Amino acid sequence: MSVVRCDGIVQIYKAHEVEVVALRDVDLVIDEGETVALLGPSGAGKSTLLWLLAGLLRPSAGRLWLNGADIGRLSQRSLDRLRAAQIGMVLQNPARNLIGYLSAAQNVTFAQRAVKRDRRRAGDLLRRVGLQDAGDRPAGRMSGGEQQRLALAVALANKPRLLLADEPTSQLDERSGAWVVDLIKRAADVDGTTAVVVTHDMSVSEALGRTVTIRDGRVGAEGRRGEDFVVVGREGAVQVPPEYHHLLPPGSMARIEELEDGIALRRAEP
Amino acid sequence: MILRGLWERRTLSLVVLIIAVVPIASAAVGPIYSAAARTTIVREAVRTAPLEGRGWRYTTTSGGIQAKVGAFTRGAGFTNPPIFGMEATSGRADDKRAFSLVWQDGQCEHLTLAEGRCPRASMEVMAGQASGFALGQTIHLSAVRRAEVGDAGRDPAPLKVVGIYRPGSPADPFWFGRTLFAPPGRPEGDKADALFTVPETRLDTYIVAGAVDFTGARQPEAGWTDYGIVFIDTDRIEGTDIDVLAAMQAAAENAGSNEDTIVFSRVADVLRVVSANAGSLGVPTLLVIAQLVGLGWMLLFQTVGDLVRARGAEIALARLRGHGRARVWRFALAEPLLLLAVAVPLGLLLGRAAAGTMIGALLPAGVPVRFPVEAAPAGVAAMLGGVLAAAPAAWRTATRPVTEEWRRTPRRSARGWVLDAVVLSITALGLVELLATGVITDVSGQSSSAMAVPGLVALGVALLAGRALPVLTRRLFGLTRRHGGLGPFLALRQVARGPVTAGSVVVLGAAFGLATFAVSAWSATSGDYEETARFHNGAPTAITVRPVEPRRLIEAVNAADPGGRTAAPVIKVPGPPEMVATDPARLAAVGYWRPELAGGRTLAEAAAALPGPATPRVWLRGDRFRLTADHDPLPKGWSVRLFATLRVPGQLRPVQIPLGALTGRSGTHAWNLPPGCAEAACELRAVRGETTPPPEAEEDLYVRVTVTGLATRANGRWHALDLPSWRVDEDPDARDGTFVVTVPGNQTLRPYTYEPRQAGVAVGALGGKAVPGLDNAYAGPVRTVLASAAGPGLTGVGVLVDLEQADRMAYGVHDKAVFQVWTRSADPAALERALEEQGLSVVSRRTSAGLAASFAGQGPGLALMLLLVSALAAAALALGRTVLALFTAARRRTYELAALEASGARVAALRVALLLEQVITVATGTLAGLVAGLVAARAALGRIPQFAEPPVTPPLPHEVALAPVAAVVGAALLVSLLAAVLVSEALLRGIRVERLRDAPA
Ligand SMILES: Nc1ncnc2c1ncn2[C@@H]1O[C@H](COP(=O)(O)OP(=O)(O)OP(=O)(O)O)[C@@H](O)[C@H]1O
Ligand SMILES: [Mg+2]
Repeated sequence: MSVVRCDGIVQIYKAHEVEVVALRDVDLVIDEGETVALLGPSGAGKSTLLWLLAGLLRPSAGRLWLNGADIGRLSQRSLDRLRAAQIGMVLQNPARNLIGYLSAAQNVTFAQRAVKRDRRRAGDLLRRVGLQDAGDRPAGRMSGGEQQRLALAVALANKPRLLLADEPTSQLDERSGAWVVDLIKRAADVDGTTAVVVTHDMSVSEALGRTVTIRDGRVGAEGRRGEDFVVVGREGAVQVPPEYHHLLPPGSMARIEELEDGIALRRAEP
Repeated sequence: MILRGLWERRTLSLVVLIIAVVPIASAAVGPIYSAAARTTIVREAVRTAPLEGRGWRYTTTSGGIQAKVGAFTRGAGFTNPPIFGMEATSGRADDKRAFSLVWQDGQCEHLTLAEGRCPRASMEVMAGQASGFALGQTIHLSAVRRAEVGDAGRDPAPLKVVGIYRPGSPADPFWFGRTLFAPPGRPEGDKADALFTVPETRLDTYIVAGAVDFTGARQPEAGWTDYGIVFIDTDRIEGTDIDVLAAMQAAAENAGSNEDTIVFSRVADVLRVVSANAGSLGVPTLLVIAQLVGLGWMLLFQTVGDLVRARGAEIALARLRGHGRARVWRFALAEPLLLLAVAVPLGLLLGRAAAGTMIGALLPAGVPVRFPVEAAPAGVAAMLGGVLAAAPAAWRTATRPVTEEWRRTPRRSARGWVLDAVVLSITALGLVELLATGVITDVSGQSSSAMAVPGLVALGVALLAGRALPVLTRRLFGLTRRHGGLGPFLALRQVARGPVTAGSVVVLGAAFGLATFAVSAWSATSGDYEETARFHNGAPTAITVRPVEPRRLIEAVNAADPGGRTAAPVIKVPGPPEMVATDPARLAAVGYWRPELAGGRTLAEAAAALPGPATPRVWLRGDRFRLTADHDPLPKGWSVRLFATLRVPGQLRPVQIPLGALTGRSGTHAWNLPPGCAEAACELRAVRGETTPPPEAEEDLYVRVTVTGLATRANGRWHALDLPSWRVDEDPDARDGTFVVTVPGNQTLRPYTYEPRQAGVAVGALGGKAVPGLDNAYAGPVRTVLASAAGPGLTGVGVLVDLEQADRMAYGVHDKAVFQVWTRSADPAALERALEEQGLSVVSRRTSAGLAASFAGQGPGLALMLLLVSALAAAALALGRTVLALFTAARRRTYELAALEASGARVAALRVALLLEQVITVATGTLAGLVAGLVAARAALGRIPQFAEPPVTPPLPHEVALAPVAAVVGAALLVSLLAAVLVSEALLRGIRVERLRDAPA
C-alpha cells in the first residue's frame, strides 16, 4: 500500500499582491518502507512538499493521501492525531526542531507527549545519534551538528510510519552523516518507516532507495538503483536535466525524433 | 517546564509581572484609599461638629439607664464609655428660681471648688457661687422629700451644702452643652446654678410628682431623670462605621417616640455632612480607578501578547508534533496565566503598601490603613485584563498555519479601524455630553461619568497620533532618502514600518494624556481651592471671637492695631443673602479682593463708597427720658400721642416708649426708660405720633411737630442732650427736626445717623432683596455701590457693608452673627493676645491656607489626589514599557544592523538611526499626551466635581499652572531621551559582525 500519494498537487503562496507558485502539478506515489531522497535546486519547492506531506499545509489544488486518508477531508483534530502518531519531521533549520531550554532527553519526550511515552526508545535513539552523554545540557547550547542529530532522534521518537527530514545532514561531517543515514535505513528495516529526506548530499541520496528530483515545482526526474530517469509529466512535459543544458540550453529549439521505445531530442537551428 | 520557559524569557516575564502588578495594585489602592478617605471624612465631620454633634445624651425617666445606653451603643466600637448622670428639678419655697439637683459621674473633676468639698454622702450638695447659699446651710427643695413617710406625709429632705463651686465652662464637653450654670459674670436669672449631689441621695429621697416648676406649669412626671452621655471617639471611628452611626441616630430618633425617653443629639447634621462628602468621593474615585485599570489593561494587553508571541516557536513545535488542541492551548496560556496569578497577591501587597504611603502622606495622621474586602476583587478584575489579552494572542498563535511561524508571509498587518472608530466615537459622545452638561453639581449621580472623559480623550488623541506618526514619517522618508544621511533614513524607515511605533505612541499618549490631565486638574483645582478659601476666609487669617457689642469689637480692633493696616473687625450674618459688615478702611488693607471680578475697581475704591453719615448718635443713659416739642394746635376732637423708639442693649427688637399726648402748642414729654438703659446706653432711634380721631371728625389732622430738646435723667439729675441732625422717612429733605402727624401719610422723625438705604458691595444676583442686617431683621435692601462677582467673607449671594452703618441701622446683633477679626499679620497670635487684652475672647482661628486644605480633604479633592498619584505612576510605567518595547524591537534588528556595519556603514550613522527612532517615538507619544491632557483639562475642568458642595462664589478661575505641567512633560522627555541614549548605546555595543553567524531571530 502507498503511504503517500500526491495527485496533481499545486501549492501557491500569496504574499501581498504577488502569488508564488511553489509546486505545480506534483504527482508522486511512495510505498511503505521506501526511503526516498528529495533532490532539487534551492527554491524548487522541496520544503513546501515536505510540509504538505506532514499535513502542515493544505494544497491549493490537487489531492493528497497519507496512508490512504485524503488529508483534504481530515479535520484538524484527526490531522493532529495523525501527525502525533504516524509522522516524524525534521525541519530544515536545526534549531527550530528543538525547545532550546530543554535537555536532549526532554526534547525527545516532548515529541512523545501526544502518544505513548517510551523512555527506552528515547534512550536508544539518543545513543544512536551519539548523544547519550548530552545530559542536562539545554538543546539551545548544542552545536549545530548536535542539534541536527538530536532533531532526527526527536523526529523518530514516536516511531513514525512516515519520516520527513529536510536536509538532516546539512551541518554534519561525513561520519555523523553516515550515522544519520544508518538510522533512517534501520528505521525503515526494523519499523517499516517510510522516509522522505530532502538532501543536497550525494552520499545520502545514494544510500537511499529512490531519488525524486523536483525542479521548478515539478517532479522532474527520479532515480532508482543508481540510474536516473526523467519523468514525463501530466501534459507530456519533460524537464531536460541541467547536465544536458550545454547540449539543449533552455530556450533552444529541438527536433523530436521518434524511436522504437521513445523519442530523441536534437538541437535544431532554425 | 513552565518555570523553565519563564526563566528562558525572564526579562519579558519580569516585565509582564511588573506591568500586571501595577494595575492590580492601583485597583487595590482605590478601595483602600477610599476607605481611609471615608474615615478621614467621618473623623473630620465629627471633630469639627459642634459639641452636640459629637455624641448623644440619652435621657430616660423610667430607669434602667445603663441597660438602655448599653443597648443603644451595642455594636458601635467607636464610642467612649458613657458618662452617666441623674437629675431632678424642683422649686423652692420663697424662691423664684428653679433648681436642678444633679449628679454626673466625674462631676468633681469638672468643677472648681471655691469652698468646702465635693459631696460624698447622701443628701450632701454642692452649690454654685452665685446661688447665694452658704457652706453648711441646709436647703429644702419642694419636690425633694424624705423617703420615709412621717406623720404629716413626707417632709422636704434636708440637703446640706458641703461645698461651693465656681461654675465650670459650659463649653466643657463633659456637660454636653447643658447649661447647668450661668456662664461666669452673668446673673443666674430664673434658673439657679445646679446643686450637685451623689447617687446615694436617690435612695433617701422621694421626688414628688406634680411639683410646681419654675415656669409655673405642673410637671406631669417628676422622678429622677437618668441620662447617659455617649461620645464618638474620633480616633476610633472609621468610614465603615457610617452605617452603624446612621443606625444609631435612627434608633435615637425612634427612641423619641417613646414618652419617657429622649435622645438629644445633633449627629444627624454630622451624618448629612458625612454622606454628602462620602457620596462625592465614591463616584470620582471609582472612575479614577477605572481609568487607571483601563490604562493598565492596555499595557497588559500589549505585554502579555508579547509573551504569548514569544512562545510562538514552541507552540508551532507542539503543533508540529501533533499535540492536541487542549495541550497547545495550555502551552500557550500557562506562562501568562501563571504570571498573572502570581501578580495578584503581589499587586495586592504593593497596592496596600502604596495606599499606606499615600494615606500617610496625604491624609491626616492617625487614619488607619485597612484592607477592605472590595480591594481583592478589584485587583482580580484588573488582572482579568491580562487574561483577556492572553486569550486572543494565544488563539492567534494556536490557530494560524504552523508554517507561518517559520516563514512569515509578509502580510499587510494593518490595524483595523473598527476599534479606533468605536473609541473615538465614544470619546466624541462623552465630550459632547460633558460640554452640554455644564457644571456637574450632582457628584453622586451618573453625570460623574464625565470624569471618564479625560481618559477617553487621552486614548482618542493617542490613537490618532499613533495613526498619524507612520504616515508623517513616510512623507519625510522620501526626503531623507534624497538628502539626509543614512541615520535619519534608517530611523524614519523603522518608525514608518515599525510595529512598535503605533502601539507605543498609543500607550504613551494615553498614559501621559492622563498624567497631564491629572497634573493640570490638580494644579487648577488647588488654585480654585486657594482662591475660594481666600475669598471665603476673607483675609489670610480670620480670628473668631465671642460676640460683644459691635462698638466694643470696633474699639478693640482699633486699639489692638492702631495703624489700621493689619486687622479689621468683621461681623458676618448668614443669609441668604449673606452680610459681611466691616470697617471699610481696614478691610481695604487686609481683605482679599480681585479687581477683575469687580469691573476693575479696587477694594480700596469699593470700601471708600461704603461709609455713611458720621453724625453723632443719640445715646440715652439713665432711668427717664424727656422730650420737648413745639407743634401746631390740634384740631378739635383729635388726640395725638407721641412715641419714642429706642434701641435697648440685649434686645433685638425696637422698644417703644409712650411720651404722652400733645396739648396746646408745645410741651414737655417724659417717660421712664427701660431698665437696661441704666447699665448700658440705649439709643433714640425714632419719634412719631399716633393719632386717635374723634367719633365724628370735622377737620383733617395735620400737625407739624418740631423736637426742640432732649434730656435724660440719671442719678436723679437731668442732663440735656445735643440735638442731632434729623431725617424724616417720608420727607427726605426735612432736616430740622420737624415732622408731620397726619392721616394718611404720618411721618416718622429719626436722628440722621445712617442712610435709609445702606451702601453695599453686592455679590451675586441680589436683585433688590432685603439683607438681614446685624439684627437679622431684613429691614431693607442695600444701595449697590459696586457689583462684584466675589467678595471677601462671602460664600454666596450677599453684601459687603460698613460695620458702623450696619450697627447704626440695626437694633442689636443676632445670635447667628459671627464675630471675627480679619488680619494679614504674619503673627496672628500676637494680634490675638492684643485682642484679649482689649477684652475680647478668641474662640478660634482659621487661615485661608487651612480652609484650602480642608477643601482638598473633601471627597472630590481626595479623589483627585488619587488620580494625580496614580496617573503619574501609570505614566512612568508606560514610559518604561515603551523603552523596553523599543529595546526588544531594536535588538531583533541587531542582525540587520550588524550586516549594515559589515557592509561599511559608520557606527555614528547607526547610532543616529537608533537614537532618532526612539526619540521620535517617545517624543510623539509624550507630546500627544500633552495635547490630549490639555484638551481634556480644557473640556473637563469646571465640569468635574471639585467640591463636595460647589461654591456659589467666587467664580472659579480653573487656571492650569504651567510649571507643574511643564515639569511633568519635561521630566518625561528628559527621561525618555536618557533612556533612548542608553538603549541605543547598549544595542550598538551588541552589534558585532560575529552576530551574523547566528540565525536571525
Ligand atoms: N511563505 C512563503 N511565501 C511566499 N513564498 C514562499 C513562501 N515559502 C516559500 N515560498 C517560495 O516557494 C518556493 C519554494 O520554496 P521552498 O522552501 O519549498 O524551496 P526549497 O526547495 O525548500 O529550497 P531550499 O533548498 O533553499 O530550502 C520558493 O520560491 C520560495 O520563495
Ligand atoms: Mg528548503
